[in-house]
Amino acid sequence: MAYEPVLLRHVGHPEVRTVAGYRERGGYRGLEQALTMEPDEVIEAVKDSGLRGRGGAGFPAGLKWSFIPKETDQPKYLVCNADESEPGTYKDRILMEEDPQQLIEGCAICCYAVSANTCYIYIRGEYVEQAEILEEAIRDAYQAGVLGDSVMGKGFKLDMYVHRGAGAYICGEETGMLESLEGKRGQPRIKPPFPAVVGAFGCPTVINNVETLCNVPHILERGADWFKQIGTDERNTGPKLYCVSGHVERPGTYEYPIGATLNQIIEGCGGMWRGRQLKAFIPGGASAPMLPAEFADTPLDFDNLAKAGSMLGSAAVVVMDDQTDLVRSVYRLAKFFNHESCGQCTPCREGTNWAELVLKKIVAGNGKPGDDELILRICRNMGGTTLCPLADAAVGPLRSLVQNFPDEVRAWLDSDGALTPARQYFSEGVTV
Amino acid sequence: MPTVTIDGREVEVEVGANLIEAAKQVGIQIPHYCYHPRLSIVGQCRMCLVKIEGPPKLQTACTTQVMKDGMVVHVDVPEVQEAQEGVMEFLLINHPLDCPICDQAGECGLQDYSFKHGQAFSRFVFEEKRTYPGRERIPLGPSVVLNMNRCIQCTRCIRFTEEISGTGELGFFQRGARTEIGVFPGKELDNPLSGCVVDVCPVGALTSSQFRFSERVWYLDKKPSICTGCDVGCNITVEHRRGAIKRYKPRFNPEVNDYWMCDYGRQTFRRYSELDRLGTAVVREGDEQRAVSWDAAIDRVHQGLAESGEGAEIAFVGSGFLTTEEAFLIARLAEAAGSPHRLTCGEDGPTRTIPNPHGGISGSETSPNRRGAELAGLVASEGGLTIDDLMRGDGAARCDFLLIADGDPGSPLHDNETVARLRQARFLVVLAWAESPLAAAANVVLPAATHPEKEGSYVNSNDRLQRFRAAFPPPAGVRPGVDILLDLLSLHDPDWKGLSTAQVFDRMAATLPAFTGRTFDTLPAHGTLVGQAGAVIGGAESNPEDAHP
Repeated sequence: MAYEPVLLRHVGHPEVRTVAGYRERGGYRGLEQALTMEPDEVIEAVKDSGLRGRGGAGFPAGLKWSFIPKETDQPKYLVCNADESEPGTYKDRILMEEDPQQLIEGCAICCYAVSANTCYIYIRGEYVEQAEILEEAIRDAYQAGVLGDSVMGKGFKLDMYVHRGAGAYICGEETGMLESLEGKRGQPRIKPPFPAVVGAFGCPTVINNVETLCNVPHILERGADWFKQIGTDERNTGPKLYCVSGHVERPGTYEYPIGATLNQIIEGCGGMWRGRQLKAFIPGGASAPMLPAEFADTPLDFDNLAKAGSMLGSAAVVVMDDQTDLVRSVYRLAKFFNHESCGQCTPCREGTNWAELVLKKIVAGNGKPGDDELILRICRNMGGTTLCPLADAAVGPLRSLVQNFPDEVRAWLDSDGALTPARQYFSEGVTV
Repeated sequence: MPTVTIDGREVEVEVGANLIEAAKQVGIQIPHYCYHPRLSIVGQCRMCLVKIEGPPKLQTACTTQVMKDGMVVHVDVPEVQEAQEGVMEFLLINHPLDCPICDQAGECGLQDYSFKHGQAFSRFVFEEKRTYPGRERIPLGPSVVLNMNRCIQCTRCIRFTEEISGTGELGFFQRGARTEIGVFPGKELDNPLSGCVVDVCPVGALTSSQFRFSERVWYLDKKPSICTGCDVGCNITVEHRRGAIKRYKPRFNPEVNDYWMCDYGRQTFRRYSELDRLGTAVVREGDEQRAVSWDAAIDRVHQGLAESGEGAEIAFVGSGFLTTEEAFLIARLAEAAGSPHRLTCGEDGPTRTIPNPHGGISGSETSPNRRGAELAGLVASEGGLTIDDLMRGDGAARCDFLLIADGDPGSPLHDNETVARLRQARFLVVLAWAESPLAAAANVVLPAATHPEKEGSYVNSNDRLQRFRAAFPPPAGVRPGVDILLDLLSLHDPDWKGLSTAQVFDRMAATLPAFTGRTFDTLPAHGTLVGQAGAVIGGAESNPEDAHP
C-alpha cells in the first residue's frame, strides 16, 4: 500500500508559501474547522488523536494544552520550538521551507485551543533563509486575514512573531528557549513550575515543536480517527518525518507512518551506501543511544525504541556502515555536547568535558584498559543528576558505545597505540 | 505546618520551606554550594541531591519545597553518597588544588566537603586541567580579586549583585566547561557591599584584596563583636591573631545586618594599627608631659577636680564611640561633681544602608553609639554648655575642669583650631586610645582600651541595644574606659569600686527608663529595642565559625 504523504504533501509546490496558494491546494480547512468548535473541543480532538510531541520527549500534545489554566487574567502564549539543533535533524527546516502556511495554521489552531493571543516561533539562528520565508508567510497571512485582530473574521485575535535564536543547542530545551526569548542567557529553568503555568514572561505557555504543530491542521480537517489509523498502535499515531543521514544512497527527510523500521527506511533511501553492511544506527538524533544492526526491524516509534533501550527523539536516523569507527563517531558527539553544555550544572559542565577528554585520548591511541569503565562511571554520575536533559542526552551515545559495542572500544584500548587514526577528521584548533 | 521525615527524623516546617532548611532544624547538614538562604534558588551545583520517596531520580534539596505532610527524605544512603562523591569529583577534576597558596584554605567549601563527601583518589589522569590563562588574579573592583581557575560556577556572587546589592556588575560569560564569571564591560565591582561576594563565595575564586595573603585563617581567633563604622551596628566577627586584627567579617543577625556588611565597615579596624597608641598614663608638669602610674594619674584628675573649687565650671564631653556604660559613668561623674555640663559629641557622615529581611537599615552617624551615650545620660541639660559653645565659642575657656572622653579619633576634637580652643580650659583631662594633638595638650592623659579590647553595649540607629565582648585584652598599661571611670567615680562614692561592665549596665538599667528590665548578661543575641522592656527578639548568637551559611 503506497503511503500518501501528509506533512510533506506540498513539497515541490512553492506556491503554497502564500495563503492563496495554500488554500488552493486544500489548506486552512483545519483552522476553519477549529474555529467552528469550542476551544475545549479542539483540545479534546488533539488528545483523542494520540498526537505525541515530535521534538524529542514524545509528550502527548493535547494533554499539554489542557494544562494551560483557563481561569486566569494573565496573557497566554504559544512558543513554537523551531530551534532545531539536534545533530542529524532537519525535518522542521523542510516543513518551514516547503510549507510555512501549514505551520502557521497549526500554530493558529493551538492558540485558539488554549486562548493564546500571541505566538512566537523561536527559530534557530542558523536558519536565516527559513526565518525569512516564515516572516514572508506571516506577512501574507496578516494581509489575508488569517492572522491579526480577527482570525478569518471570527473575532479571535492572534499575533505571530518570528524570534531568531543566537545559535545555542540548549535553547532548544523548552525553558532555556523561554529564557532566551525573554532576552536572557539561555539556561534551562528549574521545573516545577512547568511552562504551562509559569512560562514566557511568567505567563502560561504552550511549547510545541514545529512538526507537532504541523500535524494539528490534519487532525482537525480529517478527524482524530483518521489520524489514529496511521502508525503502530494507539500510543504511536500519525505521520512522522525521519531525517536520514549517514551511509545510505539517498539521505534526506522521509515521511512514513510512525513506526517504520530501519530496513524500510534504508530501502526508501535506495539502500545502504555502496551496498555495504549495516553496523549501527542512531534512531533519534545525537542524544539517542546507538543501536546495533539487529534492531533494524524494530518499529521506530516512541515505545518500541524505548523498549530497545533508545529513543525516537527527533527521529534523526544516522546510519553507520561496517567501516565506521564508532569510537571516533562518539568522540565527535562528545565534543558536540561539551561544546553545547550551558555550564549551569556541575555534572554536565564537567562531565561532558571529561568525557570528551577521555575519548580524545582513546582515539589518539593513548587509551588504557579501564577507560571503558571510566566512561560508564562518568555517565553514571552525569545521568539523571542535572536540571535539564542535556546531560542525559550526552550520556546516550557514550553509554551505548560502551554497552552495545564493547569490542569497538576494547579494540582501541588494547591496540597499544597501533590503532591510531590514519587521518585526522578533525584538526586540532578547529572548534566546531 | 507540614511534617517531613528526614533520615528517620520528623520535623515540622513552614509550608514551602526547602529541604536544606528543614534538615538544618533536625541537625542534618545537606551539603550545598549554590544555595544561600538569602539568594534566589538556582539548583545548579547539584551537591544537595537527596533521595525522596516517590520520584525515581534523586532530587535537589534546595529546589524541593515541603508543601504537605508525608514527604520522606533520605540523605544518609549509598545512592546519595555516590551522587555527592560524583559531584565532588566533577568539581575537583579541573580545580587547581592550590590550597597551600589559597586564602580560602581552612574555610573552603571544597576542602570541607572533600573531607566529608569526597573520595580519596583521582581518576582524572590528564596532564592539563582546564585553566583560564591570564584570569588567575583579576581585580574585579577595589576590594575583590578573582581567580577563575578556582571557581565552581555556583553564581552566588552574580546573584548577590543582582538581588542584594542591586548593582548587577557580575555575569556569566561563555558556556559549558569554559563558563566564567566576570564584570560586564565598562563596569567595576565597586558597590558599597562588594566585599560580601568574597563571603558568599564558597571557594577561593573571590578573595579580598585587603585580606589576601595576610594570614592563614586557621591561626585567626574569631570573636563576635559589633562594627563601629556607623550607627547601623552590624554584627561582625573580629578575626585577629594575638591582638593584631586581620579582618572583620559580617555575623548573621536578621534584625540588623543579616549576612552582610559594607566595605567601609570592613576596613575600620585599620585605624588601630595606623595611629600611634597611647601606652601609659601621662601627667603634665609645666610644659612637659611625664609618664606616671595609674594611681598617680587618677589622683591628679581627682585633685584637678577638687581644686576647681566651689562654683567652678566643670564639663564632661564624650563621643559616640563610648560604650553606653562608659557614657553612663561619665554622666554619674558629672552628677557627683554637680555639673550640668555633659555632652555627647557626634558627627553626621554618609548614609550607609545594609539590606536585611525587613527592608534594610540605614545609619548616618560616623560613630556607633551616639544614641546610646545620650540615652545613658550624657546629654546637654538646661543651662549647660552646648557643643557649639565648646567647639566654636569660648565654652572651654570658661571651664575650670574639662574631661574629654573620646573613644576614637577622627572627630573635630582633633583639628588644631578646635584643640586650641579646648586647651583654654584650666585643667584638661583626655581619655583616649590614640595619640592626638588634644592628648598632647592635656594635663592628664588616660590611655584607654580600643573597641575590640573592651566590652559594653551600643544602641544603633533603630534603637536596638546590642552587647559585645572584648575580642582580646588591651596591652599592658592600658585599661578599659569603664575601669578608669569607675576608679574616678569611687573616689566620690566607694560604692562604685571594682564593678564589672555587667554590673555597671545593671545599675544603669535600674536607674534609666530606656534600659529598664534588662541585665547585661541576658541581653538577647540579636539585640533588644531600648525603651521597650520585655521586647525580646529571639535567636541564638551566630557562631563565628559558621563561615558558610
